[in-house]
Amino acid sequence: MSGLGAFVARALVAHRLRSGLSALGIAVGVGSVVLLTSIGEGTRRYIFDQFNQFGTNIVSINPGKSETVGMPGILGGTTHKLTIDDALVLQRLEGVTGIVPLAFGTARVEARERGRSVYVYGVTPNAPALWNLRVRQGSFWPAGDPRRGRATAVLGPTLKRELFGAEDALGERIRIGGRRFRVIGVMEPRGSFLGLDIDDTVYIPTATAMDLLNRSELDEIHVAHRPGTDQQRLVERVTVLLTERHRGNEDFTVTSQEAMLDVFGNVMNTITAAVGAIAGISLFVGMIGILTTMWIAVGERTHEIGLLRALGAGRAQVRRIFLLEAATLALAGGAAGLLGGLALAAVLRLAVPGLPIETPLPFAVAALVVSAATGLLAGVLPAQRAAGLDPVEALRAE
Amino acid sequence: MIRLRGICRTYDLGGRPVHALADVDEDIAAGEHVAIMGPSGSGKSTLLNVLGCLDRPTAGSYQLEDRDVADLSEKALDTVRRHRIGFVFQSFHLVGRLSAVENVELPMVFAEVPRRERRERALAALDAVGLNERGDHRPDQLSGGERQRVALARATVMDPAILLADEPTGNLDTASGRQVLDMLDRLNDDGLTLLVVTHDPNVARRADRLLVLVDGRIARRMPAAEIHSLDELFAVGDAGSSTDNGDEDGEGS
Amino acid sequence: MRLGDTVVFTWRALSRHGLRTALSLVGVAIGVSAVILLTALGEGARRFVIDEFASIGSDLLIVVPGKVETTGGMPGVGGTPNDLTLADAEALERRIGSVRRVAPVAVGTETVSHGARSRDVALVGSTATFAEVRRLTVGDGRFLPPGEARRGGAVAVLGRQVADELFPGESPLGEVVRIGAWRFRVIGVLEPTGTQIGVDFDEVVVVPVATAMRMLNRTSLFRILVAVTPGADLERVKERVVEVITTRHDEEDITVLTQDSVVGALTGILAALNLAVAAIAGISLGVAGLGILNVMLVSVAERTGEIGLLKALGAGRRQILAVFLVEATVLSAAGGLVGLAIGYGLAFVVARLVPALPTAPPLWAVTAALSLAISVGALFGLLPARRAARMEPVDALRKGS
Repeated sequence: MSGLGAFVARALVAHRLRSGLSALGIAVGVGSVVLLTSIGEGTRRYIFDQFNQFGTNIVSINPGKSETVGMPGILGGTTHKLTIDDALVLQRLEGVTGIVPLAFGTARVEARERGRSVYVYGVTPNAPALWNLRVRQGSFWPAGDPRRGRATAVLGPTLKRELFGAEDALGERIRIGGRRFRVIGVMEPRGSFLGLDIDDTVYIPTATAMDLLNRSELDEIHVAHRPGTDQQRLVERVTVLLTERHRGNEDFTVTSQEAMLDVFGNVMNTITAAVGAIAGISLFVGMIGILTTMWIAVGERTHEIGLLRALGAGRAQVRRIFLLEAATLALAGGAAGLLGGLALAAVLRLAVPGLPIETPLPFAVAALVVSAATGLLAGVLPAQRAAGLDPVEALRAE
Repeated sequence: MIRLRGICRTYDLGGRPVHALADVDEDIAAGEHVAIMGPSGSGKSTLLNVLGCLDRPTAGSYQLEDRDVADLSEKALDTVRRHRIGFVFQSFHLVGRLSAVENVELPMVFAEVPRRERRERALAALDAVGLNERGDHRPDQLSGGERQRVALARATVMDPAILLADEPTGNLDTASGRQVLDMLDRLNDDGLTLLVVTHDPNVARRADRLLVLVDGRIARRMPAAEIHSLDELFAVGDAGSSTDNGDEDGEGS
Repeated sequence: MRLGDTVVFTWRALSRHGLRTALSLVGVAIGVSAVILLTALGEGARRFVIDEFASIGSDLLIVVPGKVETTGGMPGVGGTPNDLTLADAEALERRIGSVRRVAPVAVGTETVSHGARSRDVALVGSTATFAEVRRLTVGDGRFLPPGEARRGGAVAVLGRQVADELFPGESPLGEVVRIGAWRFRVIGVLEPTGTQIGVDFDEVVVVPVATAMRMLNRTSLFRILVAVTPGADLERVKERVVEVITTRHDEEDITVLTQDSVVGALTGILAALNLAVAAIAGISLGVAGLGILNVMLVSVAERTGEIGLLKALGAGRRQILAVFLVEATVLSAAGGLVGLAIGYGLAFVVARLVPALPTAPPLWAVTAALSLAISVGALFGLLPARRAARMEPVDALRKGS
C-alpha cells in the first residue's frame, strides 16, 4: 500500500497547479464551514457565560402563562398577582438559599442639577450575593421585611459617575421619579450584559420600587438554590406551591436557567448548523471540482493505466490509486482549509475581543474526516472509469 | 507452455466485424525463442495481447502452463500477468514522472512485495541491464537504449516465465538495439520463453523459429535461420490487399 | 475572428468534452441556485413580516408606555412612573385635529367559562372603535356599543374559537359567560381573522376597557391605538401625540410606534441576514471558479497543438486570448443560467409547499449571482487564456503533434 501511496503522491505532484487548485476548492469550503461554525459556537459560549456570570443556580418566576398567550410580560396580567408574599413562601422550599422579589422599570434619577433616565431595580439586600455582584462603597440596606419600603438607594457605578463625577456620593440625597432617596452604597463596575450597561442603574427596596413604579405585582422572582439541587424538581415544586396559592391557576411562568440555556443552546446549534450547511455548499462545489480534475486525469492517463494493467495491476488496484488520489487531494485541501479557518478565527478574535471565537477539537477532526470522505466520494466515478478501462484499448491510447 | 487452438479475435469496427486473428493454432514450448513477423495490420500485436492475457480471444482455447485462460477469473489473470509475463514495448512506456528504479519497482508494488525487498530487487534488475548508476534518473534524462533497458529490467524483475517484446528495437539506433537484443538472448539462454514481434529480419534471425502472420492467420512456420528477405517472406497469400484486417499500427506514433 | 465565430469555435471545443464541461457548469449552477433559493426564502420572510404588519394599517400610531432609551431594552417591558390612562386617550382624541379614532387597550389573561366548559383566553379591554381600528369584523351580533370609555359594562364579544369551544353547536348570543369572577352577556362573535402580529384574535374575549382595567386591577393602559385621518402627515401627528402626553405627564415617558418604524426595523434586520446568507452561499461561486480555472488550464494544455496551428494560420495573441476567455465565460454564464432556472424552480416549489411564505428571488440577488458567475468565469479564464496567448507557435506545434 505504501508503494501505491508514493505512486499517488508522485501523480499529484506532477500536476502541482491543478492539484493545488482542486485542493483549494475544498480548502475554501472547509475553511468557511470551520470559521462560521466557530463563530456560532463562540457566540453560544459568550451568551452562556453572560448568563452564568450571575450565577447558575437561579430559577425565575414571571407573571403570566407563556403557553397560552405568547411571551410573558408582553401581554402580562394575572388573575392573582405575583406578590412579595408569594416570594416569601418560596423561601421555605427545601434547597432554596435565597429569593429576590424584583420590580423594575425606568425612572428619572436626579441629583443636584443633573438628571438621567435609568433602569430602577427593586430588590432585596441579598441580591448582590445571589447575582455575584459586589458593593464597592457603603452597603445595601439591612435585611428585613421586604414588604416594607425605605428611601435608600445603591447606585450603579456608571450612574454614580454621571450624577456625581469623582465626588463622593455616599449620604447624598437624590430624587428618583420625583421622590427623595439617600445614597447608601455604590456598586463595583460589572460591565455589560448582552450589550446592556448593567452599571447604569439604581437599586432600591422592592416595596419602594413597586410603589414608585405604580406596580400592583412583582415583575419577577429569583429563587436561588444550593448547587447540585435538581432544577427540574425545584421548578415543579415552585409550580405546585404557587398554583395552590393562586387557587388552582397556573398564571405564572417558571423558568430554570438550565432549561432556558438548553432551549437557547438548541436554537444556536440549529442556526450554526444551518449556516454551516450553507457554507457546506462550497464544499460540495469543491467536491465537483475534484471529480472534474480526477475525471480529466483518468482521460489523460489512459495510456498509463493500460501500462499498469500490463504490469500486473488489477482493477481493484487501479481503482484504489484513483480513489486515493482524490482522497489525498481533498484531505490536503481540508487540512489547508482548517488551518485557514483557524487563522481567520484568530484574526477575528483579535479584531472583536468581546467575542470568544472557539473551534472545538471535534469540529476540527470532523472537518478533516468530512473532507477525506468528500474526496473518496468525488473519486468514485473517475476511479470506476479508470478500473473499467480495457487494458488493450488503454495501451493504444496516446 | 503455450497452446493455442482455433484462436479468433474479432473487433467491431463501426458495425463491421474485423477479424484480427482468425483460427490460429500454435504450440510454443518453454524456453523457446520465437519471432513473429508480418505486414502492418496482420494481427501481430493482437496475438501478443492475447498471449499476454491483456486481451481475451473471441473464440478458441488458449492454454498457458496447462491452464485454460478462458477459465481464469480476472483476478487470476492479473496474477498471471504480475508473476508469469513480462512486457517490453517499442516506445518503452516508462512512467515519465517516476525515476528509473521506481519504474522497475512498479510491478512489485502491484504484487505487494515489501518495500525493502522491492528496492533491492529493482536495483539488482537495473544492475543486470548495466544501469546500476542511473537508477535515480527520470526517463527524460535517459537515452533511448537506456530507457529500453529500464523497461527490460521492469519486465524481468518479477522473474516471469514468458517475455513478450513488441518491436523492442523499433525506436533504437543499431548499436543500442544490438545491446538490447543481446540481453534478450541471454535471458532466453537462462530459460525465459521469448516472443518477439518485429519488422526487422535481422532481429527475427536471432530466434529459434519464425511465425509469419498474414491477415490474422499463421501463413508460414519456418526455422529462423532460413530468413532471407522481407519480400520473400510476405509473398505468401494476398498480403497486398489486407482490407478486412484490424488497424494494428498502435505502437508507431 | 468575429465574436460569432469565436462562440461557434468555443461550442465545438466544449461539446467535445461533454462530461467535463457539464461538471464545471454544475459547480456554477449550484452556487447560483443556492444564492437565488436562499435569498428567495429571505425575501419571503421579509414579505411575510410586511404582510403581517400591513394588517396594522399604515395610518395607525401605537402609543406604548415607557421610553426606549439609547441603552436599548424593549418598550412595554418594565413600567413607567406615570400611567397611560383613559384620560390620556381622550386627550389625544380631543386635542389633535387629524386623529380619526382612538382605541385604548388593556390586556390580560383570564379564565372564561360557561357551564362546565372553561378555558384561558387573552382578555382585551377596549372601546367600540377597536373593531374599526384593528379591522375586525363581527360575524354574529354586534361589537361593543359606542359610548363613554370610562363607563364600562358587562358585555363581551367572543373570538370565533372561544365561541365554538364554549358553545359547541349553539349560538352564544344573549348567553351569560363568567370571566374570572365577573359575569358578562355575550353580544357578538368575531369573524375568524387568525393571527395578527402574534395575537390570535380567534382566541380573545373583548370587553369594555374600563371593566377590563377593574378586573385586571390595572391603572395603566397597555396601549393606545391612534388611527390618523387619511392623508394626514403621520410624522407630524406622531410629534403631536408625544407633545400632548409629555405635557400631561410632565416628562416624555411614552414610545410611539408606526407600522413603518416597526416594519423598517424588522426588515432591516432581515435584509442584513439575507445579505449575509447570500454572501456565504456566494463563496461556492468562487469555488466553482477554481473548477473552471482548472478545466481551462487542462484545455489549454491539451490544445497546445491546436493553438500552434491557429497561430501558424495567422491568429494573433488577442484572438487566442479571446478564444479561451470566451470559452471560460460561456462556461460560467451557462452554469449561471442553469442555476437561475434551478433556483427559480426550487423557490417555486417552496412557494407551493409553504403558501404562507411568499418566496420570490429578489432582483438584486439574481443580478448579483448572475454577474458574479459571469465575472468569475472571465476572471478565472484570464490565467489560462494568457498562458495560451503567450505560447510560441513553433513550440506549440511541435509539442502538440
